[in-house]
Amino acid sequence: MSYPAPWHTIGRHALMPEAAHDEVARFDIVARLNAHVAQRLGPQVREAWEARGRHVFRMRHGRDPLDRHEVSEAMARDAAYRTYSLVRRNTMEIRQQAGRELVSRQAARLRDRARALNEGAATLKLDPHFEAPRYVTAIDQHLMRGGYAAERLEDDVSNPANYDAGMYATIGGTGGPWINAAGRALVDWLQRECPDFKPQRIVDLGCGIGHNTLPLREAFPSAEIIAIDAAAPMLRYGHARARSLGVDDVAFVQGDAADTRLASNSFDLVFSTMVLHETSRQALPKIFAEAQRLLRAGGLTLHLEQPTYRGLEPFEQFVRDWDGRFNNEPFWSALHETDLPALLVKAGFAPERVFETRCVAPSWNKSALQEDFGRAPAWYAVGAWQMANGFAVIG
Amino acid sequence: MNHSLPIEANPNQPASAVTGRRPDSPQFTDDPMVDRLYGVTLSLVTELAVTRTRLDTLERMLAKRGVLNEGEMESFVPDEAAAGARGRLQDEYLQRVLRALG
Repeated sequence: MSYPAPWHTIGRHALMPEAAHDEVARFDIVARLNAHVAQRLGPQVREAWEARGRHVFRMRHGRDPLDRHEVSEAMARDAAYRTYSLVRRNTMEIRQQAGRELVSRQAARLRDRARALNEGAATLKLDPHFEAPRYVTAIDQHLMRGGYAAERLEDDVSNPANYDAGMYATIGGTGGPWINAAGRALVDWLQRECPDFKPQRIVDLGCGIGHNTLPLREAFPSAEIIAIDAAAPMLRYGHARARSLGVDDVAFVQGDAADTRLASNSFDLVFSTMVLHETSRQALPKIFAEAQRLLRAGGLTLHLEQPTYRGLEPFEQFVRDWDGRFNNEPFWSALHETDLPALLVKAGFAPERVFETRCVAPSWNKSALQEDFGRAPAWYAVGAWQMANGFAVIG
Repeated sequence: MNHSLPIEANPNQPASAVTGRRPDSPQFTDDPMVDRLYGVTLSLVTELAVTRTRLDTLERMLAKRGVLNEGEMESFVPDEAAAGARGRLQDEYLQRVLRALG
């Protein structure tokens, strides 16, 4: 077993909710329970598949399963899978309740702190008339009550505060102290794969609270960075968080990733981290088309996600589909089955400029407590370069 | 010492927004009672770990300061205020561990 770093090692900033002894202990045990689920119960599901499920399916059908739905037919009722699911679902709900308890008692205080940090700043642009897309408002994403846009008091920041404080327990500390592993992975990929690429204007589509935006600030100090999100509470919190960390030149702008209202042909890098699975079948092609519209010649769009199901063995697809089935991620399954490179081509990128890759966060080894035991967070990424001579031919 | 933190400190927010079973919780076993039992058991697992951590913190602090003598904890009787505070703690505790029941 490898163990998550304790909660008290996560980074502190002015908006981080104050946690009492037992609240810290609760996040710590939930993170360990999640590690246990992943490292002990997960392998038991595979063993059950190898020992029983696969043979039951073969006896019934005279062949191996073709897809995750057929694996599910053999495994959904398996004791190992049901136990894994019961424990995993419960740790998710316990984590959510723990986070809600933590923030609800200090919601007004956090709101006031955010107000004080945000007051008068031209870099926070909220639009009271903006209507967030249904995929943001209609669902409690990963069991977070009310979802990203929920407001329980005026200028509320309690859901993002819960998200920030509890994310550690969900991912077992693998995000590093600033929970920015995806942003660091993106920067590392850029520096490795295209060291001469120096984006001057950058857009983060679906920035959330800016966890993964800020590593871009550090990597490209002179770039103009615009972080877009549909949810006002996330932007309020993210903007205040950035300021309390000494970053006052990233613009947090409320808007729709499919229709940002930013100028065409004016950005060098348009990216997203773990956002596509939270959109919708209707929105996704529009988001890619928007990235294509925003990029100028030689620009790059890159989107970090969980691995695509394409090419994965059906059992692996079935296991990875757990979030889509049981963690309130309604677009998860469909996204991971989608041919994203083909969708980028449809959005107007030249086929020869579209690519898939893997982005890996450099390990966070600043101290023994933050050692991640080699479990470097890694993502699938899909991207495209804008043609050097203006727009590609759409077709 | 009162380390109790009220779950319901925000008057704009009903307690049901914070605690309780989700109405859309999936059923993994053939008997919904078994699912609920798992829910309570796992919350108990969590809360027992929290309590053990707290006790560990306390005992280490007391031993470090030479405050706690052997056997003293076993004969402790709470006064009225302490008993009341414990009651409130227990109410909040039950809201956590019985989450899966609603």
